Amino acid sequence: MTAAPLIAVEDLHFAYGPQRPVLQGVSLALSAGERLALVGDNGAGKSTLLSLVVGLLKPQAGRIVAFGRQRVTEADFAEVRPQAGFVFQDPDDQLFCPTVAEDVAFGPLNLGAGREEARAIVAETLEMLGLSGFGPRVTHHLSGGEKRLVSLAAVLAMRPQVLLLDEPTNALDARHRARLIDILRGLPQAMVIVSHDADFLAALATRSLRLEGGRVIP
Amino acid sequence: MHIVDGALAAPVIVAASAAAVGGIALGLRALTPEALPRAGLLSAAFFVASLVQVPVGPSSVHLVLGGLAGLMLGWAAFPALAVALALQAVFFGFGGLTVLGVNLVNIAAPAVLFGLLCRPLVRSAAATPAAVAGVVAGGGAVALTTIMVGLSLALSGEAFIPAAKLVFIAHVPVMMAEALVTGAAVALVRKVKPDAFGLVAAPARA
Amino acid sequence: MTDSRAGQTALRTFADGPLTGLRRIDPRMRLVAAAVFAFSTVALHEFRSLGVALAAAALLAAWARLPAAETARRVLAVDGFIVLTLIMLPFTTPGETLVTLWGFDASRQGLEHALRIALKANAVILALLALVGTLPETTLGHALARLRVPEKLVQLFLMTVRYIEVLHQEYGRLRTAMKARGFRPRTDRHTLTSLGYLIGMLLVRSLERSERVMAAMKCRGYTGRFPLLDDLRSRPADWLFLAALTAACLALLTADRLA
Repeated sequence: MTAAPLIAVEDLHFAYGPQRPVLQGVSLALSAGERLALVGDNGAGKSTLLSLVVGLLKPQAGRIVAFGRQRVTEADFAEVRPQAGFVFQDPDDQLFCPTVAEDVAFGPLNLGAGREEARAIVAETLEMLGLSGFGPRVTHHLSGGEKRLVSLAAVLAMRPQVLLLDEPTNALDARHRARLIDILRGLPQAMVIVSHDADFLAALATRSLRLEGGRVIP
Repeated sequence: MHIVDGALAAPVIVAASAAAVGGIALGLRALTPEALPRAGLLSAAFFVASLVQVPVGPSSVHLVLGGLAGLMLGWAAFPALAVALALQAVFFGFGGLTVLGVNLVNIAAPAVLFGLLCRPLVRSAAATPAAVAGVVAGGGAVALTTIMVGLSLALSGEAFIPAAKLVFIAHVPVMMAEALVTGAAVALVRKVKPDAFGLVAAPARA
Repeated sequence: MTDSRAGQTALRTFADGPLTGLRRIDPRMRLVAAAVFAFSTVALHEFRSLGVALAAAALLAAWARLPAAETARRVLAVDGFIVLTLIMLPFTTPGETLVTLWGFDASRQGLEHALRIALKANAVILALLALVGTLPETTLGHALARLRVPEKLVQLFLMTVRYIEVLHQEYGRLRTAMKARGFRPRTDRHTLTSLGYLIGMLLVRSLERSERVMAAMKCRGYTGRFPLLDDLRSRPADWLFLAALTAACLALLTADRLA
């Protein structure tokens, strides 16, 4: 048998009010080294599932086990979030700091890194993604593709074990899309990738699951 | 409604600046870490909304939208409007630097006053009284702002008094525009996002 | 103020320019210098000193390489009610009659008062655009933080400038959609209601985005701290600049009082 999964959800139920049930008994597990594609129609609950995993939403029923422990309280999820890096669909939601360096340093500084240590992490992370020299750039002047890569850097700077990617190729040009595929293939993290982009998933995913009618279909 | 540098007497500037600092301090107290993104995004939205040109007869005006800001931000409207006024002065050359406190109090104090007064009605269940409260907040706030601008000038010199009166009359169409725009905006926000004014605790969406 | 056309940025600053001359001075010193200049200029009385102040502001603008036409437009664009107030001043101030227009006496004292206000307002705005208007918004935020402006106010400032452009683009899309359905602004109730809906929708979008931003902040361990990393450094030349400007302002004030 392989080692315990990094993240597992069991029989998860969630609804936005009584009229809008979204998840009705979802179970899945993510193991180290996997790149799990999560597909499904708009409104199937893919983004909702990612939000539940990091505790931005609370399930009405079901269990979430992450990094060896069941997670229930806000304090539990505060521990999960740096380890399960959530890359948001719209980089403008994710990048709220004035400059690229401050955005990438935001996570490490919150996790207790000193300023010099944070600066070192920023330099290293930006270099890893081919963004050296972007540090002082003002975030809202970046192109869409650059913003996407910087939002990935901002999450990677926390050194997560898992990446949760929500529509990462949204509004990406072909050049940045190819670059993103290269980068993600080179990363050691296990990933859950929510996307409508079949070619992108084919290039990356090791396994695929479909969400339909509130349940998981292999 | 931006007074320029050099027009006002020193005591008016000192008194209003002290009031502005107090208002900002009260507003910042309401700004908890959880409230910061909401206030920041609303502040940006109000800045953009203040660029909208509204036709009034042969010319056009920019809206202040103080009443709407007070309704949505409460005391936090003070620091949010301070940011907007500072940006307008520094980057557009609109308003002035020594009069920043005066301009802030003239716009933010009516905004907070009418915002807090009208908010209970805006939160009420029925759509019509809520929209009317929006109209009152929008028109009332800009009317009081105009009066306070006139007062700032009148207190700085008697020669300003006739102009202050004329300015108030000239702004009646602007007050009507602000009132109707605010009423419509309140009606829409209530319908689309009922929890925007703290109406009901709807579950957060992903 | 500027109007808002689709495709233009909301905050058109003078920040894009060669990093030479005045633009190389430490932003903190420039902010303090702007305040020193503004407060001493509004305290002046003599036309000669006001002329010197305006000339000094023009020198600062030239040193900052401000584009002349656009700068003039911004300096001269004031609220209509200010123009009205200044035009009325000569007629409402008692004193020695200079001219009579349609039976109204314009006094020399009133005209001088109006001229003084105009000179002061223009000198301060010109200096402000040169000294502070040339800073990128984010640098201005960093400088304010270093000058001990309350942390939360700086955070609000930075959050606001971060999202003005994002929301301005959303505004542009909403406005285009209205135009596509035949909306043309007129002086009527339909226009005001439609613009109210447009602004309401913009506010709704901003609230929804603020929820996602909050979520993103939580995902990166936000606990209320908002650490800033800046590269502000002052050299002796920066201090020299501030000292020289302050000394010049004090000298001008003294000369003004003695005159």
